[in-house]
Amino acid sequence: MTSNAKTDIQIAICGSAGDGTIAAGDILKQAMAKAGYNVIAFDVYPPEIRGFGKCVARARITSEQVYSLKGKSDCLISLDDSHAIPHVRELRKYGAAIYEDTPMSDMAEGMHISGHLEPGHLPYGVPMREMSERITSSGRSRNIVAVGYLAGLYDMPAAVFHEVIGEKFARKSPELGASVRSAFDAGFEAGAGSFRLHFDRIGAPGSAGRHVDLIMMSGNQALVRGCLDAGIDTFFGYPITPATTIMEMLAREMPKHGGRLLQTEDEISAISAAIGASYAGARAATATSGPGLALMSEMMGLGAMAEVPMVAFVSQRGGPSTGMPTKTEQSDLNLAVYGVAGDGQRIVLAPTNVEGCWKCAGKAFEMAERYQTPVIVLLDLYLSNRYEAVELPDENPFASDCSKWAERDSRARPYSRYRITDDGVSPRAIPGNPGNMHTVTGLEHNEQGRPNDQPATHQEMSAKRHRKLLPALHHPGITIEKRFGDAGKVDVGILGWGSTFGEILEAMFEAHKLGVSCAAMKVVMLSPLPVDPINAFMDDCDAVLVPELNYEGQFAALVTGATGRAVNRLNRVTGTPMNVHDIVTEICRLAGRTDSIAAE
Amino acid sequence: MKDIQEPVYLEDKLKEIEQSGKLAYRSQTLPTWCPGCGYFSIVEGVSKAMTELDLKQEETVCVSGIGCASRFPFFMNTYGFHSLHGRALPVATGIKIANDDLTVVVLGGDGDAFAIGGAHIPHAARRNVDITYVVFDNGVYGLTKGQTSPTSVLGFKTTTTPYLNMDEPLNPLMMLLSYGASWVGQAYAGEPHHLTDMIKQAIAHRGFSYLHVLSPCVTFDKTSKTYQNLGMAVRPLPATHDASNFAAAMAAAQEIDLPQLGVYFARERPTLCDGLTEITARAQGGSAGQRAAAG
Repeated sequence: MTSNAKTDIQIAICGSAGDGTIAAGDILKQAMAKAGYNVIAFDVYPPEIRGFGKCVARARITSEQVYSLKGKSDCLISLDDSHAIPHVRELRKYGAAIYEDTPMSDMAEGMHISGHLEPGHLPYGVPMREMSERITSSGRSRNIVAVGYLAGLYDMPAAVFHEVIGEKFARKSPELGASVRSAFDAGFEAGAGSFRLHFDRIGAPGSAGRHVDLIMMSGNQALVRGCLDAGIDTFFGYPITPATTIMEMLAREMPKHGGRLLQTEDEISAISAAIGASYAGARAATATSGPGLALMSEMMGLGAMAEVPMVAFVSQRGGPSTGMPTKTEQSDLNLAVYGVAGDGQRIVLAPTNVEGCWKCAGKAFEMAERYQTPVIVLLDLYLSNRYEAVELPDENPFASDCSKWAERDSRARPYSRYRITDDGVSPRAIPGNPGNMHTVTGLEHNEQGRPNDQPATHQEMSAKRHRKLLPALHHPGITIEKRFGDAGKVDVGILGWGSTFGEILEAMFEAHKLGVSCAAMKVVMLSPLPVDPINAFMDDCDAVLVPELNYEGQFAALVTGATGRAVNRLNRVTGTPMNVHDIVTEICRLAGRTDSIAAE
Repeated sequence: MKDIQEPVYLEDKLKEIEQSGKLAYRSQTLPTWCPGCGYFSIVEGVSKAMTELDLKQEETVCVSGIGCASRFPFFMNTYGFHSLHGRALPVATGIKIANDDLTVVVLGGDGDAFAIGGAHIPHAARRNVDITYVVFDNGVYGLTKGQTSPTSVLGFKTTTTPYLNMDEPLNPLMMLLSYGASWVGQAYAGEPHHLTDMIKQAIAHRGFSYLHVLSPCVTFDKTSKTYQNLGMAVRPLPATHDASNFAAAMAAAQEIDLPQLGVYFARERPTLCDGLTEITARAQGGSAGQRAAAG
């Protein structure tokens, strides 16, 4: 059934809202993960609830670990030709196109996808609607017929699909599940029986054994898991795409563990309640996107000045302003790192993959408590909604209490909440601790916390608040920067952050194949910035490239500002993940290898 | 005419104050209010009320926003959170949710509450968060040196309304009643004994208590809400007022020019934390009600 060849197949399913595009992609990726393959998947949604906007579900199925989707897909499934036709260019040469070959009515010239396929594309017309109606008495299982056809065509194991379909419908409606399964089987039979070229078969899953423990998780799901593992006590949030699902998942899970969640009236209220709960000693967090973070910036300043722990998860989307709510971007770095009135530096973490979302989420609570400061975890829509097969350890790596506590009941010596210490962290007391009463404030204050605007006070307190963050660069149990690829001197070094790092790694591998010496460095902690490792990396590179999904080159400016060294920028604001080929082209150009740019 | 009283000697009075225990609630920081400010009555009232209720300082949190009134927490020897302009209510909600054994008192002025903070009031009230909200209404922005507030009267002249205020003031009592606050009362800084009693009742009430305190700003309002004008205008709610009657409370609240003092409305209903506790019980299998019935 499966050959020994390595697997690397990417499927793109295009349809209109309501066609079951996303559901089909979901079944495909869950099944393939169950079968032991590595899967990276990302769906694209329209911003409206109703209407006929375009949905695209993409899944890349591999035997070895990969880090991003490919620029070209190996198979294109069309559930709605008007949406799929623009994606024909995405299908590689000799890729397969699966489409409806018995449309309901006469179509105008140029409206059917078959007229748009390029030479080399393999056409597989399937009477999806007819089959769906015949098997299930309704056209609504067209998407399942298509997935079945795909599975049969590529010799995928049908059993895992049966399992996933069974689980999906087990609670709601087993009869519907049986009918869906029949639709899948009909498609599978048709696909298995069709003519295909010999390389159109799925290869083996990856190295055996390890993958049994992999589960498909999205960035948001991993983040939620990190919160729960870190013992989150309270959560306050306001719905905003793409962070809403974080609150929804926590709303179901937290009460089971005695946690308390409240949907507040706005983002300002959410962050205010989080800081209040933190002040009272609870592990508290909120989750939002760029526009929400903008509203929260005043409170971030209060957190910094009053030295109260706070955790905010921010999933970036197209901006500025309301922007593109269902498209990805990386343009809130400036807001996260700098966005506050005054010198209100805080800790900012930006994971690069789904497992990183879990790790950064849990560590955020540790750091917020330890350094008594706001911590922002910066994701983006792509990472929030990207599914990867991940393996999380059984043991919980997060510490449940990282606070430096004041002695209880220091009535003998008046308690100074903001006592200046060597490491800048003052021993903390919370309501309930006898004898340590104090008021926290956003006004500049002396060690006792009393408002004080004298020159020496503000100078010393500013130094204290900044100095205390530096040990975060060495916080245990988290990798805040890492270098990959060629060691020593290289022609081109790529500095990246966030979800784009997946595409950066893939581009680096391509560059290696073209004989370009190339290394990549991911930076996970954006504030405070690990300047020494970045300088060391830049010392090794003839040219440094910073690809990122924003127009203004925000991370490039951050690096240049901190190091005083110029970098080459690659900026894209298409609302889609960075194109690997674009990065490769730039690498080759910087390495002086314009001859080596491979055709896409 | 008040009864002629015996002379009061300073040493005796100081001893009485010390023995009352209310000083334990005061910090060593001197208030930043102008001499004659009505807020001195309020801090006195809060200290006395806490003494009489025997609240533990370490289990009491005073939360405020920004403004003259919001400086309050610094003058108290309890835990305190001097937060941001208009945001005291959600901060207090977070504190209460994290630890509902704490007594949380929220304090602020009319600007902090009704201008920038207005959006948070409906939600704190309708959720019945078990906190006490004391708003010090002097109808002006004092800390920024004399601008109109949402409770300034029509025609009030300030630095930003040199041609006189054209905005109708809002009616805080009607607002709080309509948002579902489960305890609503009004007091006056010029009647400190009544004020202390109101504060005590407000804190003791289980649920969201709103106490509106009329208080003159002696520096920036020489014409409108002065001791002279308020002293003549205020009167108690009639003895026949039924605090369980919502319509009666709304009717009484409309007398904004002749403010009536006392408890307008009071009722018991489940608090926010009661609801969260119930949610936890449901999530962990079975509701609290079922479990209680099962014994």
